[in-house]
Amino acid sequence: MAGRLSGGGGFIIYTVAAATLVFVAAPLIVVVALSFSEANLAIFPPVGFTISWYEGVIANEEFRHAFVVSVTLALAATATSFVLGVPAAYALDRWPVPGARAIETMLLTPLILPILITGLALLQFLAAMRMRDAAVNLFVGHVLVTLPYLVRTVTASLKQVDRSFEEAALTLGAPPWKVFWRVTVPQIVPGIAAGCLFAFMISFDDFPISFWLADAETVPLPIFLHDSMTKIFDPSIAAMSSLMTLTGILAVIGLEKLVGLRRAMSV
Amino acid sequence: MTVSAMHTTDIKMRRPALPTSLMGLALLFPALAFLTVFLVLPSLILLGYSVLTQSQSGDISLPLTIGSYERLILSPAYRRVVMTTLRVASFTALFTSLLAYPLAMVIAYGRPLASRVTMILVVAPLVVSVIVRSYGWQLLLGNSNTGVLNWILRALGAGPAPVQVLYTEWAIVIASVHVFLPLMVLPLSASLGRINPSLNEAARVLGAPAWRAFLRITLPLSVPGLIAGLTIVFSLTAASYVTPEMVGGNRGLMLGVLLEQQINTAFDWSMAAAIAVVMVAIALFATVGVGWFADGRTTLRFRRGGK
Repeated sequence: MAGRLSGGGGFIIYTVAAATLVFVAAPLIVVVALSFSEANLAIFPPVGFTISWYEGVIANEEFRHAFVVSVTLALAATATSFVLGVPAAYALDRWPVPGARAIETMLLTPLILPILITGLALLQFLAAMRMRDAAVNLFVGHVLVTLPYLVRTVTASLKQVDRSFEEAALTLGAPPWKVFWRVTVPQIVPGIAAGCLFAFMISFDDFPISFWLADAETVPLPIFLHDSMTKIFDPSIAAMSSLMTLTGILAVIGLEKLVGLRRAMSV
Repeated sequence: MTVSAMHTTDIKMRRPALPTSLMGLALLFPALAFLTVFLVLPSLILLGYSVLTQSQSGDISLPLTIGSYERLILSPAYRRVVMTTLRVASFTALFTSLLAYPLAMVIAYGRPLASRVTMILVVAPLVVSVIVRSYGWQLLLGNSNTGVLNWILRALGAGPAPVQVLYTEWAIVIASVHVFLPLMVLPLSASLGRINPSLNEAARVLGAPAWRAFLRITLPLSVPGLIAGLTIVFSLTAASYVTPEMVGGNRGLMLGVLLEQQINTAFDWSMAAAIAVVMVAIALFATVGVGWFADGRTTLRFRRGGK
């Protein structure tokens, strides 16, 4: 494959791609650069170097609370999506269920439906049901948007399972549960791990669901960040953004180490 | 296919405990029940709201009416928002595809290191919150001289008047291209990677210049990935809220922001539901329509002598 981008054309493609990567990185670099600025307003160019904005953010009670809310919410939503999604994906792959295509489409619907509208429909429904506990409502909403990611990655990795190994184990006398646990599961673990990591990041970064369902006490981090942006204009916003970005970058590195990015993104 | 089908039946025959389809349904039940209660039912109710009448006190009830849809299509103010949404989504999809091609080609055909680094840099922003990225664009496009773009322009000696990009449709397009670029690059590079390299080599050996081999071989064969990317970018841009809200301002009012205003400012649930239905319709139309258009074109090309 290497060398298919050679000569003048290859040079142009590399140059344009590099310029596009600058465009990709620019807003993130600007945010990080301003988070170290000594100026009192988040304006360009940054002045000097200080980490005091980070100290201020980390010491901020509300920020820490929002961070904990978001992490808890993301963990709970991911775990629940795992419990609901893995059996569903397994059933679709292994059993002749009537209407399997329709069911699979339904399981993936939250990916196709605009999230803003999923959240609005849920808000109106929960209000009609008199469900006023924002923490529970947020949890339900976040499971809704994370579930399809697990279904999709697990379905994709189940399709790649080599059935002849299971066949061999069964022929050699292993009971079905043992075949499942020792032969099937190890083959789909990377897919499940990738799905869980996606689900966690989707929930952790979610705005359109939390936006409808959060209340004054249960404020996830993206909502807190967005609200702060309309009230605060100093570089502490940039510091908060950088801390959130750091979480994302750690997740990407984790994904690359765990399953390889190319594989994770193709499932 | 036959072999794997045999394996499946074989394995199934060794599961005597429960009737097989019942076991499958039991495993599916929790997920389906959850989605039915919290997604299907609420969506249907919302669809119902869009054709019901809202009284002065805020209660929603009969009679049935298409008044909300009528206002959305006929009132110039609302129609402008619909047109802005379609325009911004179209431009975003177009510009994203132009920027995505070189990146996808480096990922699919580049040297291993370049390919890997490009892949990481393209995917990394995907896990950075849209709020952070839109904030970055607020800082970059700022309308005064403290915005990065204007600061650079002034440093280059471009005159005293700062360019006004922030809080226009163009700001939404720029930021949306940035937000959705990975979703175009990924299907495109997958599509490019599946093209048989010998086709390109054959064209080059037969004397076609590189640009021509690209236009006649690589580009047509990558259309499936391009279609997938265009569809997803168009739908997501048309349905987005955060980016238009943060960088669009009043001049770049899109359906998502209008929807939020109807709920939180106007308290008009019927109108909000109608907007939601239109947004879903746009997303569905993009998926179905673009696929149909692509099929038509492929058929046409084959009819004209298999070019």
